[in-house]
Amino acid sequence: MIQFTPLTYDALKVGEEFVSDTLLVTPEDVDTYAFAVDDHHSWFSGTSPFGGPVAHPTFAANQALRLRHSRYVVHAGLHAKMQFEFLEPIRVGMRVRSRGRVIDKYVRRGKQYMVTEYVTEDEAGTPLVRGQFTQMLIPA
Amino acid sequence: MAITHALAVGQALPSLEKELTQRHIDAYSGVRTRSIHTDEAWARAKGFRTTLAQGMMSTAYVSEMLTRLLGTGFIRGGSMSVAFVQPVYAGDRLTVHGVVKDLRPEADATRVVVEVWCENQHGQKTAVGTASGLLR
Repeated sequence: MIQFTPLTYDALKVGEEFVSDTLLVTPEDVDTYAFAVDDHHSWFSGTSPFGGPVAHPTFAANQALRLRHSRYVVHAGLHAKMQFEFLEPIRVGMRVRSRGRVIDKYVRRGKQYMVTEYVTEDEAGTPLVRGQFTQMLIPA
Repeated sequence: MAITHALAVGQALPSLEKELTQRHIDAYSGVRTRSIHTDEAWARAKGFRTTLAQGMMSTAYVSEMLTRLLGTGFIRGGSMSVAFVQPVYAGDRLTVHGVVKDLRPEADATRVVVEVWCENQHGQKTAVGTASGLLR
């Protein structure tokens, strides 16, 4: 049982870790993502050089971005920076999970920020995407 | 399909145009209450003029540009580093730009580094950064 608490700058600890739930990459979700970003590359729905349909490279990024929601109630936030390394394709039919760790928090010009590094893996633990993102906390 | 002809430093890539409707944002973010992306009243209460697109949507547009350029060499071996410098609102129209910044050997391929940025319909940059991938 998870005891959710409001996300505040003071509550957040550098070094704390998050794990997402597992997401089954379905054709419907890949198609919805393609609609959302208006990118209907044929590799997302048919054959690809990787041997079957693959998801958009940034498909699982929201799973990572929402890692903090696995423990905190997030009032509101803004995304400030994003880094990706695309290691392996995210294939339709995979079950993917993201793990993250808070590596920094700081205040700049009166705004509060948190920095998280993460990896998205398949069910065998193979890294698919690594990244790092900076989020600004909007106080309640 | 990836572009296979020779690339040169300074070369501008074909730009992308993206209309960000609320329906696109809803599909991207998932409709939630108390969300600055999908709850207009909540967005206004937080000081924004209307709902905002997630910054992450712009990384998808950059990803599309690099996948068009490099194909498999972006999906396996690509990278991106982007800062979101202005909010993007529902109803905005973005143009995604890319200019080849560097070409350097990497293993049996060439890493193509592209300076990327998104501009809104007012000519304001909303996201800036670099992206790269492998040309084989």
